[in-house]
Amino acid sequence: MDGFGLLSLLTFFPLVGVVIILLLKAIRRESDNLIRQIAIATSVITFVIAVVVLIQFNPDRGGLQMIDQAEWIPSLGVQYFLAVDGLAILFVMLTALVTPLAIISSWSAIQSQVKGYYIFMLLLETAMIGVFLAQDLFLFYIFWEFTLIPMYFLIGIWGGEKRVYASIKFFLYTMAGSLFMLVAILYLGLTNDTFSVPELIASRGTFAAMPVQALLFLGFAIAFAIKVPIFPFHSWLPDAHTEAPTAGSIVLAGILLKMGTYGFIRFNLPLFPEASFDFAPFIAVLAIIGIIYGAIVSFAQKDVKRLVAYSSVSHLGFVMLGIFSLNVQGIEGGILQGINHGLSTGALFFIVGILYEQRHTRLMSDFGGIWRALPVFTALTLVVVLSSMGLPGLNGFIGEFTILLGSMGADEALGSNAWIYTAFAASGVILAAIYLMWMFQRVFLGPLDKEENRRLRDINTRELVIFIAFLIFIVWIGISPSPYFQVMDASVSRLVGDLNLSVAAIP
Amino acid sequence: MNAFGLAPLLLLFPAVGFILNGLFGRRFMDYDRKIGERWTGWLASGLALAAFGIAVLLYGSLATNELDQVTVNIFNWIVIPSSDFVVPWAMQIDTLSVTMMLVVTGVSSLIHIYAIGYMHGDPDFSRFFAYMNLFLFFMLVLVSANNYLMLFVGWEGVGLCSYLLIGFWFDRVDEQNKPMNANAARKAFIVNRIGDFGMILAMILLVWAFGSLTYDVVFESALDLFKEGQALNIFGQEVSIGALLTAVTGLFLLGAAGKSAQIPLYVWLPDAMAGPTPVSALIHAATMVTAGIYLIVRSNVLYEIVRASGETLVANLSINDLVALTGAATALIAGLIAFTQFDIKKVLAYSTISQLGFMIAAAGMGAYVAAIFHLITHAFFKALLFLSSGSVIHGMEHGHHQLEEDGHGDDQEEKFDPQDMRTMGGLRHKMRTTFIVYVIGALALAGIVPLAGFWSKDEILAQGLGNEGLVFITVFILLLLAAFCTAFYVGRQLKMVFFGKPRHEAANHAKESPAIMTAPLIILAVLTTLGGLLNLPFFSVGAVERVRGAQDSIQLELEEWLEHALESIELSKEVAGKVPILELPETPVTLELNVAGLSLALALLGLGLSMLVVYRRKPERAEDPDPLEKTPIWWFSVLPLNTLYMNYFVPAFNWLAHWLADKLDWEFWHDFFHDRIIRDGYIGLANFLNKRIDAAIIDDGIVNGSAKATGWLAMQLRKMQTGYVRNYALSVFLGVVVLIIYIIFLVK
Amino acid sequence: MPEVTIGWYIALSVALFTIGSLGVLIRRNAIIIFMSIELMLNSANLAFVAFARHLNDINGQVIVFFVITVAAAEVAVGLALIVAIFRTKHSINIDELHILKG
Repeated sequence: MDGFGLLSLLTFFPLVGVVIILLLKAIRRESDNLIRQIAIATSVITFVIAVVVLIQFNPDRGGLQMIDQAEWIPSLGVQYFLAVDGLAILFVMLTALVTPLAIISSWSAIQSQVKGYYIFMLLLETAMIGVFLAQDLFLFYIFWEFTLIPMYFLIGIWGGEKRVYASIKFFLYTMAGSLFMLVAILYLGLTNDTFSVPELIASRGTFAAMPVQALLFLGFAIAFAIKVPIFPFHSWLPDAHTEAPTAGSIVLAGILLKMGTYGFIRFNLPLFPEASFDFAPFIAVLAIIGIIYGAIVSFAQKDVKRLVAYSSVSHLGFVMLGIFSLNVQGIEGGILQGINHGLSTGALFFIVGILYEQRHTRLMSDFGGIWRALPVFTALTLVVVLSSMGLPGLNGFIGEFTILLGSMGADEALGSNAWIYTAFAASGVILAAIYLMWMFQRVFLGPLDKEENRRLRDINTRELVIFIAFLIFIVWIGISPSPYFQVMDASVSRLVGDLNLSVAAIP
Repeated sequence: MNAFGLAPLLLLFPAVGFILNGLFGRRFMDYDRKIGERWTGWLASGLALAAFGIAVLLYGSLATNELDQVTVNIFNWIVIPSSDFVVPWAMQIDTLSVTMMLVVTGVSSLIHIYAIGYMHGDPDFSRFFAYMNLFLFFMLVLVSANNYLMLFVGWEGVGLCSYLLIGFWFDRVDEQNKPMNANAARKAFIVNRIGDFGMILAMILLVWAFGSLTYDVVFESALDLFKEGQALNIFGQEVSIGALLTAVTGLFLLGAAGKSAQIPLYVWLPDAMAGPTPVSALIHAATMVTAGIYLIVRSNVLYEIVRASGETLVANLSINDLVALTGAATALIAGLIAFTQFDIKKVLAYSTISQLGFMIAAAGMGAYVAAIFHLITHAFFKALLFLSSGSVIHGMEHGHHQLEEDGHGDDQEEKFDPQDMRTMGGLRHKMRTTFIVYVIGALALAGIVPLAGFWSKDEILAQGLGNEGLVFITVFILLLLAAFCTAFYVGRQLKMVFFGKPRHEAANHAKESPAIMTAPLIILAVLTTLGGLLNLPFFSVGAVERVRGAQDSIQLELEEWLEHALESIELSKEVAGKVPILELPETPVTLELNVAGLSLALALLGLGLSMLVVYRRKPERAEDPDPLEKTPIWWFSVLPLNTLYMNYFVPAFNWLAHWLADKLDWEFWHDFFHDRIIRDGYIGLANFLNKRIDAAIIDDGIVNGSAKATGWLAMQLRKMQTGYVRNYALSVFLGVVVLIIYIIFLVK
Repeated sequence: MPEVTIGWYIALSVALFTIGSLGVLIRRNAIIIFMSIELMLNSANLAFVAFARHLNDINGQVIVFFVITVAAAEVAVGLALIVAIFRTKHSINIDELHILKG
């Protein structure tokens, strides 16, 4: 118990806000603004706790640290087990950062059923942090599934026109994938009498036999692949993203998708290393198809939000390619690119949200030339767009470059044709410029010829604060990513070391 | 005493200018238009000049301290500890980078000042200067980097600024109501990205091969491996150093082709002329587009190792030959296209492509110094030409304005293109200063002795003739033809713009530009005249010594000056009995009189011919067709590659994207597969189970069936219930009998 | 003169029981059925007494007293029922009393 419950505090602190909001009527007169303030305060304090966790975190240690562990269901070997390491810490920080921004961004966008909305947002935050901290498969699964419920309501109640369709599709699609994982988890847990991940890794021999290991790998992989989403499983994403309220999209793109990539790193690689190597070329091919396909399909969209949604498919293709390069550069690039995508795509959804709030349309053809009307907004947007495009000096480039570096050297995982994978993936650089520049031109450039667009207002202070929060990290990672690599390096190199050991064992 | 510690200021000054103008420029402008313009314009220009000052200090420090190279570390950028991968933010101050810094900051300072006059009255005046400073910042990052990744930051950054500045008037539309500036900007960015694709892959190869992207480390490791003849063991296989570097340098060539507008990626540069003229001068002529040449010259060691290793692509064609041929072919084809243009800036744009081709060809032939020499002189005279053309356009617009004010405007014509050379003519009387500097620039471009262009172009041509081999002679012939074309289109332009009679009322009313615009022109004209002094071929080694004389420590000769940075030149020399490691193609040190004579004669011929051909008929009218329109040269007016891209590639991509998005992803995958098959399939299955299985079999069959069976059985059993007591009594009796029988016979 | 053994008593008891049970099954008159039931009870009494005497066990005679008591009670209730039935149906023919028919 070297964590002193800090991680538990971090995970469950948002629930304090939920309780206060629920009790509000009893304590004093309830008002929408008060609820908003409480939600913001709660999520900001959660961020502060996360910063404390980061300060306490020792980046030189590769293993789990700040462990919070207790018996839960001893008869089944289920534990309450929270811990953090270099693989998770950045995702936790991202969650703690993006959630308050999403909550602040919905100040004026959400006007109906305010109470329920913020309760769901805070519940979601607890579930997401739990997913990244849980080191017990059973606990992980509970958090994992629990993220679905608030998101389901966020889309279904506060979403767009087809919100019911989108929310049900989102729920069922991801749920269906999770069931495969549940089977795999139950198999692992019941055959080994423990659900604790470190213990399972230690007793890997019991399920290392090949058809079993491959099936278990697939069980996890299907759940994560749907969440990421990897190419053919992406069909829920455009619906969910497009129909979700702005903050929902920010959280969905920023954090929920990362749960999939995180899952691959946390569970698939260390638990099933041989299967990871076997499946790496297959997943890498899907990832590359995703990069190219997502980028091309983005270009043909008419709806900005849908365009950004498809661009996620492309970006996460990069992340998956990095992870399944199965070397230090690839995995670190994959993690960092996950963070980058959370920041830049989160910011892009925020941008679309600002426009939608005023114009109630997301069709690019309804805009055009709004740079003239909104100079500050456009300048900030341009930085975000460039970040998403991977302009060197901003965050996206660092991730993409490191991933491509990893995939080029991934002869262990992808064979001696790794350079072909890399060349195809690198073409995403061109395609990203095509669809993002097209979007930027259609919305912001050209003549300001629509009367409604002339009346748009430039950003207010609240929006500026959110923008600056995003941009600080976008620029920081761009010009000095070393601290980020530093934080995850020990854990990743340990993971890669284990991976290589297990492969070396195969004759 | 040295100024190397001040090097970061070189980057800081323009960055500060960008931030100040970006944040506060508009407020200044809104506060007071006139004061705002003065402040923002001079702030930006002053900071550019300050950067020039730093560059001069760095030059002085380098020249007086007998140092080859100084590295100024700022901080570490990317560090991945467990894979020993470090990329710093660090500046490499050596003779090559300082030369580039001087050119970049010098020319850009002049263009900044010029732009104060040119952009006067533009509503986005401050935004323009913010971009210009941002461009300067990225360009300096590019040339001062000590590693490829940092160079790439500048490389992409200048691309971004180019995008922003081409699209500066982003709300302008053309006749078809298409946003032409925005489209041109986007095209430039995307074409450049194709080059960047090559850059990224090349850098990744370098990292895996040498573990670093720092120039020195890369070059030294490559040389070591080459000297030892070792193969690299990367990607799980053995790769020879020659093969690896062929891939790297080939990918660099792709990058350079994008940025320096070479075949097949030159198509963006003519469109880029949609930007304001100072931008065309600075970015699309003098500095940014030369980044590709800088990249190749900077990587000279890698290129020379490939040459020395004998690695070929196909049939004896090494990557160096490909570079040279690409450059030469681009030089000639762009020169020919320039024949067919009527837009004053488009002619200069194709001319730029053509001259960049000369530089690339020089680099490909191993004449790195000549490439840089031509880069410098070209920066002078092409900036001069663009700025002068800007002055012409300014004058024409002024004339057109005058007409409108006089009331002739409405019936004259609705659209007036101030850049169309057919509407000009006779401007030499209206705009004297502009005319004189334009002629100086044009003659330098045509390669007339003793202007700067003559010397640098001559060095490149001499390199072609001075070496054995089919490639060299081919390049020489192509370049010679290109030189002739250059002279011809330059003459044609001079004649159309300045000579003859005005062919439009606007030209008649044109007026000379203000002093703030002409002053930089005059300075550039002086530089254009004297630029050849940088590397006069007369001064062979002995001569340099004599010229130095008094100021012994300052090196005048570009050749010798640059050698410190061009490792391959050092390595190709015999040092104290050691055999040279690399063998460079021979570079002539004296003036090759035959080459010089030939090129000069061709240039004069071209100029003379053009003067004869264009607008021969009197009186001149704007509607007169160009006499070349009937000749095969006009085939080039359709811009074959551009047509190929815009008419085939772009629509094909569009179609593919829409097909994938609408048909495959949406109709098939989303609507058909997910909604029809999975969702509706599930609903169908549910209905089937509901109606056929559940309602029919389970509910009706089993549940209701058992109830019915019970009912039927009861119907049967009720018949026993007669209600007659004696029946019951009989059954009791029979029961007793049965019991008795049971007890008597069965119990025991 | 043969000795009257237990067999004789049993035979008489069986005869009486048979007559009683046939009467119950065959006759329609409720009173007669009633009397037949009494006959069956008394045949049982006879058998009890005979066995008590034969086995020298007083318990059999005690049971007979109980049976006589129960029979008396039964007659009282039964006759009351018959009277009640007769009052409503104006008949004591039990074939007419079949409203419990299923």
